[in-house]
Amino acid sequence: MPIRPPQPKGCGFIRADANVAKATLRPLSKGQLGGQSCVNSALPPKVKTMSFRAELTHEIAILGCGGTIVSKIEYKTGAVFPAIDPEEIKTAFPKIETLAKITTKQIFSLLSEDMNSSHWSIAGKAVMDKIREGVEGVVLMHGTDTMHYSSAAMSFMIQNLPIPVIFVGSQRSSDRPSSDNETNLLNAVYAAKQNFAEVAICMHANTNDDYCNLIRGVNARKLHTSKRDAFKSVNSPPLAKVNYISNTFESLTDMKKREKRTPKTDFKFNDNVAMIYVHPNIQPKFISKLSSFDGIVLMGTGLGHVPTNPFGDRNASPVIKEVKELINSDIPVVMTPQTIFGRVNMNVYTAGRLLKEAGVIGDGCDWTPETAFVKLSWILGHTKKIAKVKEEMLTNMIGEISERSIVVD
Amino acid sequence: MVKIGIEIHQRIDTNKLFCNCSSTISDSAIPNSIISRKLHPVLSELGEFDKAALAEYQKNRIYEYQLFDKNTCLVETDEEPPHSMNSDALMIALQISMHLNCKLVDEVHIMRKMVIDGSNTSGFQRTSVIAMGGYIETSKGKVSITQIAIEEESSGIVENKESKVIYRLDRLGIPLIEITTDPDIKDAQHLVEVAEKIGLLLRATGKVARGLGTIRQDVNISTEDGARVEIKGAQDLKLLPTLMETEVKRQKELIKISGELKTKFNGKITIQRIFVNITNVFVNTQAPMVKNGIANGEVVYGLRLQHLKGILGRELQPNKRYGTELSDYAKTAGVKGIIHSDETLEKYGFAEQETSSLRKTLNIGDNDAFVLVIAKEDVAKRALENVAKRCEMDFVPEETRKANPDGTTNYMRPLAGKARMYPETDVPPIAIDAKLLKEVKENKSESLDEKKEKLAKILNKEMAESMLRSKNLQLFEKLLSLDVDPVLIANTLENTVVSLRREGIVISDLEMVMIDLFTNYKKGLFVKAAIIEILKHVSKGMPVGEAVEKNNLGKLSGAELQKIAQENNFDIAKIMQKYRLRIEPSDVAKLKKN
Repeated sequence: MPIRPPQPKGCGFIRADANVAKATLRPLSKGQLGGQSCVNSALPPKVKTMSFRAELTHEIAILGCGGTIVSKIEYKTGAVFPAIDPEEIKTAFPKIETLAKITTKQIFSLLSEDMNSSHWSIAGKAVMDKIREGVEGVVLMHGTDTMHYSSAAMSFMIQNLPIPVIFVGSQRSSDRPSSDNETNLLNAVYAAKQNFAEVAICMHANTNDDYCNLIRGVNARKLHTSKRDAFKSVNSPPLAKVNYISNTFESLTDMKKREKRTPKTDFKFNDNVAMIYVHPNIQPKFISKLSSFDGIVLMGTGLGHVPTNPFGDRNASPVIKEVKELINSDIPVVMTPQTIFGRVNMNVYTAGRLLKEAGVIGDGCDWTPETAFVKLSWILGHTKKIAKVKEEMLTNMIGEISERSIVVD
Repeated sequence: MVKIGIEIHQRIDTNKLFCNCSSTISDSAIPNSIISRKLHPVLSELGEFDKAALAEYQKNRIYEYQLFDKNTCLVETDEEPPHSMNSDALMIALQISMHLNCKLVDEVHIMRKMVIDGSNTSGFQRTSVIAMGGYIETSKGKVSITQIAIEEESSGIVENKESKVIYRLDRLGIPLIEITTDPDIKDAQHLVEVAEKIGLLLRATGKVARGLGTIRQDVNISTEDGARVEIKGAQDLKLLPTLMETEVKRQKELIKISGELKTKFNGKITIQRIFVNITNVFVNTQAPMVKNGIANGEVVYGLRLQHLKGILGRELQPNKRYGTELSDYAKTAGVKGIIHSDETLEKYGFAEQETSSLRKTLNIGDNDAFVLVIAKEDVAKRALENVAKRCEMDFVPEETRKANPDGTTNYMRPLAGKARMYPETDVPPIAIDAKLLKEVKENKSESLDEKKEKLAKILNKEMAESMLRSKNLQLFEKLLSLDVDPVLIANTLENTVVSLRREGIVISDLEMVMIDLFTNYKKGLFVKAAIIEILKHVSKGMPVGEAVEKNNLGKLSGAELQKIAQENNFDIAKIMQKYRLRIEPSDVAKLKKN
C-alpha cells in the first residue's frame, strides 16, 4: 500500500516573481475617485501597457445573477426579492462610474439557493461572451448562499482566463443604508481592473466598511450565516486586499496575471452527483441506496473517515462495505473534510487506509467539500471513465488543491 | 392660545427589544472593541434617494461604534438579523397601553424609521405602533393619548467630529415605550400634572427602568401667531413650566421683532448675500480666537445685515439673544459660533482699528449689523447663508429645540415632517389575538388607583402618597412578603435610609441589605430602635447578623430580660433609658402584666 500522498499535477497558475513587491498597484487616472487621496499612488505601477482592448476602454461588465445585493422589498409578502435591473446599479451606486465604464446585463434573477448547475453553465457562457467582447473584467452580482459553488464552477468551466472574473454579493440586504453591498461592489469593480486573471470572490474582510478580501473562487467558503465577513479563504491566504478608496490592491499570494490567452471552456456538468455528510448512526442501507448516482462526495469526519469498525465493536455499524460496493460498480467516491479546514489524509488511521484501499479518491487533498463536489460534477459532465475521473480529480487545475499546507490564521 | 402636547419615552426594564442582550449601560468608558462603518442612501420604492440621506452621505462620514461584550451582540452591530420582538417588553407595553385606556392594534407591524445620523448601525430605527386612542383623567379633564409605540433606543453618542462620529452600542436596542398625547394640555401646571401622572403610572407597573436617562419628555408647544416647536430631552419635570413659559415668551418676542423688521424693510426682509473674506483685516491680530483660527488655515468671513442694528442683541430667553438664534443656525453648518455687532467686541480682543476697518470693508451703515465667522471657507459661507436665511424668516419657524438645564432652549433642526417609514422585512407582524389579549389582561399589574388603594390600607395617608412616588416602591412591595410591620418598612426605606445618606452613610445594595435586615428582624434578632445603628455598620460591608453580634445589638429576652426588668422594678421608662437599643418596651410591658 503506497503511503506517499499523490502529488497534485500541473498547477494552473503562474508563479509570480519572488522579488515582486507585495503591492501590485495600478493607480487610477486623475480625478477618478472624486478627490479621494490616493494613499499609495507614490508606489510604481506594476502593469505594463498591453495590447489588450479592454485595457484601453476600462470597460467592466456587471452581470446580474440575483441575490441580496440587488434585492428590493416585496411589499406583498414583506420579504426581500432579487429584482433590480442591473442598469439601476448605476443609479443606486453613483460612485461606480468614477471607477470604470460600466455595462450591465441581467442573466437571471433568483436567490442563490435556487441555483443549480444549469445556471452555472448559463453564467459561464455569459462570462465567455464578455471575454470575447474584450472587456477588462467581469463582475457577477450573485446571492451569497451558494456563491462559493458558483465561483468554483466558473473556475473549472473557463480555464486559462485572460482577465479577472469576480463574484460579489452582500450579506446585509440592500434595502438598508448599512448594507455591505456598496463597499463590496465598488471594491469588486476596482479589483476587476487590476493585474490578475482568476475567478475570485470579493467580499468584506472583516466587520468594518473598510477593505475587501479577494478570495480565489475554488478556495472560498461561506462560514457564517449573516456576518459581512462570512466568506473566508480556506487552507490558503486570500489573493489580495482591495480598497478602492485608498486605491490599494495588495496581493497576498501568487496570482495568475492578466495576459492575452484563449480560454479553455467546458460548460457541461453532471447534475446527478450527491454530497453526503458522514455522521454517527449513518446507515449502511442509506449508503447502498446511493447507487443511482453517478458520483458521490463524502464529507468525512476528521482526516476523512467513515465508520469502518476495524476493531469489531459489537455496537458499531460500519459502512465501508457499502462504500466499496459503490466503487466496485464504477461510481467515483470522493473524500472531503467536514472540518472544512485541513487536508484529507487516509494514511494515519485504519479507517483511512481501508477507504483508500477501497478506492476512495482524495487522499492528500485539501479541497473544500463544495469545490470537490463541483469539480466531480464538472468532470462527470465530460467523462464517466473511472480512471480518467480519478486522474482529473487529483490534478490541481486551478488552485483547488494546494501543495503546501501554509500556516494561515 | 397655547397648545401643548407631550411625548414620553420610557425605557422598559427587560432585555433588549430584538436580541437577548442585557439593557444595562456599561460602567466602563473603555470598549471591548471598536468597529467602523459607513451608511449610504438607499433607493426608495419610487427609485429616489432621500435628500437628507444623500446630503449626509456626501459628508463621507465614518461612524465608529464602541462594543461592550456584555450588552452588545451581532444584532446591535447589524451583523445578524433582529430576533423576534422581546415578548416580555411587548407584554409590558401592551399592559401600559391598557392602563392608559388605549385600544390595542390587531396586528403589531414593525417598521423601519430612517435615521441618517449613524445613531443606529442599520441606518434605521425599528418602531411599532401598538395602541391608539386612550386618555388619562386629570384635574383639568381628560387628556387624550394619541398613540403608543414600542421602539428601540438609539446608540449613545460619545464624540462628534466633522469626519467621524463615535457612538457606543450598549444603549442601542433597549426597549422604549413612546406615549404621545393630543395637544389637550391646558397650561404649565397641567403639563407637569400630566407628565407626572404618566410617569407615576409607568413606575407603578414596576416594569420600567429607573434612574438617569431612563425617561425623557419631549414637549410640543404651539402658540397663536407663533409656530409649533418640539422641545426635546427634558429630564426633570420641574423644568417643564419654565421651559414652556420661556418658549411662549421667546415666540412672542420673535413675533414682535419680525413685525419691526418688516416695517424697516417695507414688507419683505431680504438679506443681500455678500459674503466678504475679511481675513486681511486681522493679519496682525491679537484676538486669540481669530489668531488661532487663521493659524489653523481658517478664514474670517463677514456678512452685513442691513437695518438689523440692535436686533441681534434683543433678549429672547434669559441670557439668549436673537444673535443666539442666528448662531445656532450657523452652527449647523459646522462653525463653532458667530461674532456679531451687538456684542462688545472688546471681549474677543479686537483692536479698535480692526473693528473700524472691518466695518469699512463690510460697508456697515449706522443702522446695520454684521456677523463674522471663523472657519474653512466653504463652512464659513454655508454658515453665513444659514444666518441670512434665518434673518429672512419673518415668522416663528417650526423647530426642534434642545432643552437646557436652565429652562432655556437651543435650536437643533427644523421640525421633522413624517419620517420615511417602511416595513421591517426581517420580523413578521405580530397578531394580537384573543390568546395574547387574555395573557395581557391576566398579567396586567395593578393600576395606579388600585395601588393607591392598597397602600392606603396599610400606611397613613401621607406615607402612602410618598411611597407611591418612591423609587423604592417595588422593594417595599417585595419586603411586605416578609410579614413585617409595613409602617416600619416604609419608615426605614423612606426616612432612616435617607437620613443616613444625608450623614454620608450610603448603603450600596439596598435590596439585599433590606431583605437581610427584615428577615433577621422577623426572627427577633434585634429591636426596631437598633435598626439605624445596625445599618451604620452594614454600610461598611458587614452582613446584618455579624453587625448585630459584633456590636452587642442583639435583642434581650428570656431570663436576661427578666433579670433586668426585675432589677429595675419593671419601670419601662428607666429600662428604656439604658437598654433602648436592645429591649422592646412591649416585651417589658408583657412581663409586667404577668
